Amino acid sequence: MGLFLLRRLGVMILTALCLTFVVFFLTNLSPNLEKLAKTQGNMRMTDDEVVSWLENRGYDRNVFARYGEWLGVVPGYVVEQPGGFRGRCFGEADEVPPGASTFCGVVQGNWGFSSVFREEVGSIIATRLGLTAKLMGFVMLLMVPAALIIGVLAGMREGSRLDRGLSSVSIVSTATPEYVSGVIFITVFASSAVGLRWFKGTATGAMENATFENFALPVLTIALYGIGYIARMTRASMAEVMTQQYIRTARLKGVSFPKVVLKHALRNALIAPFTVIMLQFPWLLNGVVIVETLFNYKGFGWTLVQAASNNDIELLLAVSVVSVFVVLVTQLISDIGYVWLNPRISVT
Amino acid sequence: MSHSTDRIHPAAKMHATEYQAGKISRREFLTRATALGVSATAAYGLIGAAAPAHAEQHTMDGGTLRIQMEVRALKDPRVTDWPQIANIYRGWLEYLTEYQADGTIRPMLLESYEVSDDATTYTLKLREGITWNNGDAFTAEHVAHNFRRWCEKGVEGNSMASRMGDMVDPDSGTIKEGILDVQDDLTLVINLTSPDIALMASVSDYPGALVHPSYDGGDMTSGAGLIGTGPYTLEDLSVGVKTVLVKNADHQWWGAEAEGFGGASLERIEYIDYGTDPAAWLAAIESEEVDMLYESVGEFIEIMDSLDLVKSETITASTIVIRCNQEAEVNGEKPYADVRVRKALQMAVDNSVLLELGYSGLGEVAENHHVCPIHPEYAEVDNPVVYDPEGAMALLEEAGMADYEHELVSIDDDWRKNTTDACAAQLRDAGIRVNRSILPGNTFWNDWAKFPFSSTDWNQRPLGVQTLSLAYRSGEAWNECAYANPEFDAKLSEAMGIADADERRVIMKEIEQLMIDDGVIIQPYWRSIYRHYTQHVTGAEVHPLYEIPQYKLGLSA
Repeated sequence: MGLFLLRRLGVMILTALCLTFVVFFLTNLSPNLEKLAKTQGNMRMTDDEVVSWLENRGYDRNVFARYGEWLGVVPGYVVEQPGGFRGRCFGEADEVPPGASTFCGVVQGNWGFSSVFREEVGSIIATRLGLTAKLMGFVMLLMVPAALIIGVLAGMREGSRLDRGLSSVSIVSTATPEYVSGVIFITVFASSAVGLRWFKGTATGAMENATFENFALPVLTIALYGIGYIARMTRASMAEVMTQQYIRTARLKGVSFPKVVLKHALRNALIAPFTVIMLQFPWLLNGVVIVETLFNYKGFGWTLVQAASNNDIELLLAVSVVSVFVVLVTQLISDIGYVWLNPRISVT
Repeated sequence: MSHSTDRIHPAAKMHATEYQAGKISRREFLTRATALGVSATAAYGLIGAAAPAHAEQHTMDGGTLRIQMEVRALKDPRVTDWPQIANIYRGWLEYLTEYQADGTIRPMLLESYEVSDDATTYTLKLREGITWNNGDAFTAEHVAHNFRRWCEKGVEGNSMASRMGDMVDPDSGTIKEGILDVQDDLTLVINLTSPDIALMASVSDYPGALVHPSYDGGDMTSGAGLIGTGPYTLEDLSVGVKTVLVKNADHQWWGAEAEGFGGASLERIEYIDYGTDPAAWLAAIESEEVDMLYESVGEFIEIMDSLDLVKSETITASTIVIRCNQEAEVNGEKPYADVRVRKALQMAVDNSVLLELGYSGLGEVAENHHVCPIHPEYAEVDNPVVYDPEGAMALLEEAGMADYEHELVSIDDDWRKNTTDACAAQLRDAGIRVNRSILPGNTFWNDWAKFPFSSTDWNQRPLGVQTLSLAYRSGEAWNECAYANPEFDAKLSEAMGIADADERRVIMKEIEQLMIDDGVIIQPYWRSIYRHYTQHVTGAEVHPLYEIPQYKLGLSA
């Protein structure tokens, strides 16, 4: 088990390194740097101004050296400019401060500075991830029980009217992307166009104070897609288990149907949905991009959009690292959970 | 109004006669007279009208107002490129003059100003008793300091430098010697080397906010960046999310006593960012999460009209320009260097259709020369562009460009995209091959001035010559058409030296005709702009330059 975890950790670090380098390379292509200069300086800067802006901030050097700088294994740049110095590790100063460190990268715990939000990347990620966690928490609370109940009810009697009905519902819900369901929800339940106005069409207020009124629609929009998907998985798995010999034996022994479902079938039927549920976490993390943008809820997905559209290099890198971490950790949990649910499987 | 000057500029009196003779509109008269240093009250007096008493709505003291607006990172004011940014620091940084929605310019931090008849000497008198919020007295030396900052051409993205015109020494990139003359604590005389009639309008523009001498161009959200003369201060700024201004309790704001100002009744002003999708703005005001929008656009205007909201409207000299870059190379050739090609594109487009399809008819049809009827020097041209698709095709054939496929670029948004689409459709109707590209905002602005054929939106400036000098003079940074015509440059410099708008109009007419004859731009319409806010908001009328002067805002009791 220990070796398994260690191996997984190694894979995680390697993946993160590869991915961040790819992101780093792409964000440092010269048109992207020009975009950065213009969004940070003045949108209508001339080409010469862009070049001098980039030089003054150390963007004109080798991409490998700069990646190493970000990692913290290459010394940070120091540029002399009219009226003082500018360095990665100390910002702007008249003189290079004597106490300034040479290395300041991820290894030293410095995740850098977001050029668009003008804030430490670490604190942005913490706030935005917290907000998305709140959204995801409510989504999970709604999605998992609802999906399991629908799946189990549909799968326990394959082909019954209940099965057909619930299956249709879940196919429809999983076939509707968020950008469709979200817009329909807003139109029907939040706008004066239909006039119901039960909920609010924006979740901006929910960041500080989440209420049923302002949080229901985004939560429902995300959950609905997942509910259908997980319910289909649960149903398939449940239907398969219900045809097993031991279920028939239990039935023939005179065990009541509800008892057969709950005691004998459920645990075995949950193995497949469990993986799917764990895979929903990374999916939610980035899948919320649409919903967060639609409802103006400023979480992790929104941050990703902002970072990408403004070519905010260090923020994008941190977002990638977090994503790698979440994907691999949830996979790890799902592997361990597998073992727990099914003793026949072993991680080693 | 406390702004008073005994001397009334002779040209202003002349304009008054013109107004009475019905030669100019009241709005034009007011812009011209106030640009010459006449107070608004006096200007109204000259034409025998009473200055409009601002409707006294009962505003309550205190309260929180929530405004939907993009929240961008603050920048040194002189490099600011978005009015939204200025609408945040406007809370604590103020301006020498204020351009008002009715076209008048009124002194703000100035008590008054006088312009010599040849528009080369400006005498600025500061309002007495103004202090910075750190306790320092506001002096003429501080104003001089700001003029010097504005003239630093070497600063990347300093757009004030182009507004300062000839004050900037082209060699050193700083202000010329002998321009500024601080006579005493409250008097600054500016001796220009060449006439500039737009100076007082230029300093009212959003990058013209006055900063404290200790501000070094760095962070605006702390330290010296927060030293200003205004009534509010920054509590919190979270880019892309929200920013909060609160009443500065430790600061005695000059405007509380000054006649014509006052207000600043709100305790707290929150700007909340709802992104760039107007549907989200609608959702925000419908869900009562904001009290006021920054702007209502396109089809949403009608939807918002159906809600229980106040609608405010103003006509502007803001516009969209569909232009060819004359120097742009496509596959090794310069398709738009030939005036026949540019003329053909103009002739193939019916501007009124673009207004109807692109902007739902919410504006006025324009005449392809970028001078608006609300500009004081506007002149009607003798030979406007005539819609003639067949003639256009014939011209293209003559130029050997009939088969050329034009790539027409626009930003991906509501009205700019629609207008450009309508333009492309009209060109296709005329038999011209057009390929449309729609780019997201950041990608678009990356290259906005370089696209061979694209559309750009331009905000209004108080005088017609200002936009022309910013956008069409040879070699200007914002000259997206790469237009370089020495005749145009010479005429424009001449026009910029004529303080009298009537005399200027004579030469303006030639300039406008030159713009048309050279086929510089397709400029379909002038936009009216709109804003909606809830019934209890006061002083939130939309401003032609998108300014939100916080001191005017309030909540009705």
